[in-house]
Amino acid sequence: MDSGFKNKLSVEGLKYSINTKVIVDGVSLDIEEGSFVGLVGPNGCGKSTLLKNIYRVYAPTCGAVYIDGKSVHKMTSKEAALEMSVMQQENNIEFDMNVFDMVMLGRFAHQKMFHNDMHRESEIVRAALREVGMEGYEERSFMSLSGGEKQRTLVARALVQKTKLIILDEPTNHLDIGYQYQIMNILKSQDMTVFASIHDLNIAANYCDRIILMKDGKIIDFGTPEEMFVTPKIKGLFGVDTQIKTNSVTGKPNIIFLPTI
Amino acid sequence: MEKTTIFPLNKKSQYFIFCIIMIALIIFTFLIAVSLGSVKLGEDSIGKIIINKMTGKEVYAPTWEESAEIIIWTIRIPRTLTAFIVGAGLTLCGILMQVLTKNSLADPYVLGISHGASAGAVSVIMYGYLSFLGGYGTMVGAFAGAMLSIIMSLKIATIRKKLTATQLVLAGIAVSALFGAATNFMIYHSRTGSDKVRTATYWLMGSLSGASWEKLQYVTVAFVICFLLIMLFTKQLDVLLLGDDVASTVGVNTDKLKLSIIIIATLLTGIIVSISGAIGFVGLTIPHITRTIVGTKHKRLVPASLLVGGAFVVIADILSRVLVAPEELPIGVVSAFFGAPFFLYLIRKSNRKLGG
Repeated sequence: MDSGFKNKLSVEGLKYSINTKVIVDGVSLDIEEGSFVGLVGPNGCGKSTLLKNIYRVYAPTCGAVYIDGKSVHKMTSKEAALEMSVMQQENNIEFDMNVFDMVMLGRFAHQKMFHNDMHRESEIVRAALREVGMEGYEERSFMSLSGGEKQRTLVARALVQKTKLIILDEPTNHLDIGYQYQIMNILKSQDMTVFASIHDLNIAANYCDRIILMKDGKIIDFGTPEEMFVTPKIKGLFGVDTQIKTNSVTGKPNIIFLPTI
Repeated sequence: MEKTTIFPLNKKSQYFIFCIIMIALIIFTFLIAVSLGSVKLGEDSIGKIIINKMTGKEVYAPTWEESAEIIIWTIRIPRTLTAFIVGAGLTLCGILMQVLTKNSLADPYVLGISHGASAGAVSVIMYGYLSFLGGYGTMVGAFAGAMLSIIMSLKIATIRKKLTATQLVLAGIAVSALFGAATNFMIYHSRTGSDKVRTATYWLMGSLSGASWEKLQYVTVAFVICFLLIMLFTKQLDVLLLGDDVASTVGVNTDKLKLSIIIIATLLTGIIVSISGAIGFVGLTIPHITRTIVGTKHKRLVPASLLVGGAFVVIADILSRVLVAPEELPIGVVSAFFGAPFFLYLIRKSNRKLGG
């Protein structure tokens, strides 16, 4: 889409089907280095499946995913973990552990089997916990945390992977509005390329440099939030009427949903 | 609000103290187990017998009867050491099953793997088709049975790549019943008289009465190898607890790791069952209890829970010999009396979690 800039992540002709049902139908996209890109679309449009193909939980039926020109699906698990980190919705774990240990697991790909500089590793974990405002929670059990605290812990776990690309698979669902903005602020302040599926259009408008619109397994449009968040496009995507204004503080589009009467 | 809790013991020193206490308990229970029985001998004589046998010389002049020495050295000591290895081994298998399924209800007995191994071992003994392997035939049969049953359990319990606790327990019941029935059938088909009941009880409820130095050697070698291998992978096990998706995104090759876990756990279960029959609930209760004491990290959990599991089976063996003396209870009866209520408690706990 832009010339002269380096693409961090490229997806080429990615198709993914389960049995004969096509979930992702020939998606190609480029994510520019250093940008914050939002993936927007209705439930069931294939957003999460597309992201899972990118972060290797699924193997695409055809097509390929590249980070800095290297095919993601040809990397070892460790190599991939050094290139991209992933944050998903908080998953329920059966076995509890403390916050420090939970974040330390994000260092897995950097550690050798023996002889690790544990002092340095601990410093990295503590720095990430500071970054997400979880200092002092190191000894707390993960399961005793609130939803927002758990999610911030998972952000810290992704940050200690020290990757240049992070994929967010609906990271702020189920969180109240304060935590949603807090987590997006943390991510926005990182020196990383971010590719996120986002449900809340106003959050997407406020944080993303680029928006990709997805429907029925296909990418139907992409551009800046100003270009994408216009009444006919949102109507086409979600079937909802909107009034869109430019916010006088942020200068970003402000989407107001209108009820059908 | 800061909750103050003693457990898990986060400090290294506390962890080591816990392990030392367990080792002391094991030595204490070992001496009781060896001195108990129809032939009575004091602890000092037992110590002298062990030293004489280990050095191969008469360091201490015998003040005891030779028959007592034979009973102690060829029956009670190998039996008690076998109890320890069986306990530690089943605990290790339980931990591995729990990591594999991310479920604290999993263990070789609950998933039907123990009964699968029993069926495999019994089929070899009754029909002798692996007789060219000699003493290893039973183990190979038990391993094959364990492998078959774990594949069945996991296949039945997994729906659309998701494994639920209810499915897992139900699959285990079905697989267990199937292989238990197969074991009974093979025994009743090939044996006659009262012997068949005893044989069936041995394989399905477990017993350490067949322990010998020779069998102890096999199982010890297998156990030590599996233990050392697992200690190399403790970090991977920690990560896998977070779920397969998360584990792969932080850099673990989950397919390879899970396959290794299945092979190690079934191999060890097979070998243990081939010498002790199916002793239930050890792999379920011990890791859970130890986890609350030392935490979830496998580098700490594995060594500590092996000590606890070993001690548990040594104590269970003592009880099996004492409770209905001079008769002997199958050891599985003792472990089930302790383990089954615990299993119920865990089921209730996992239900509460789903509700909340």
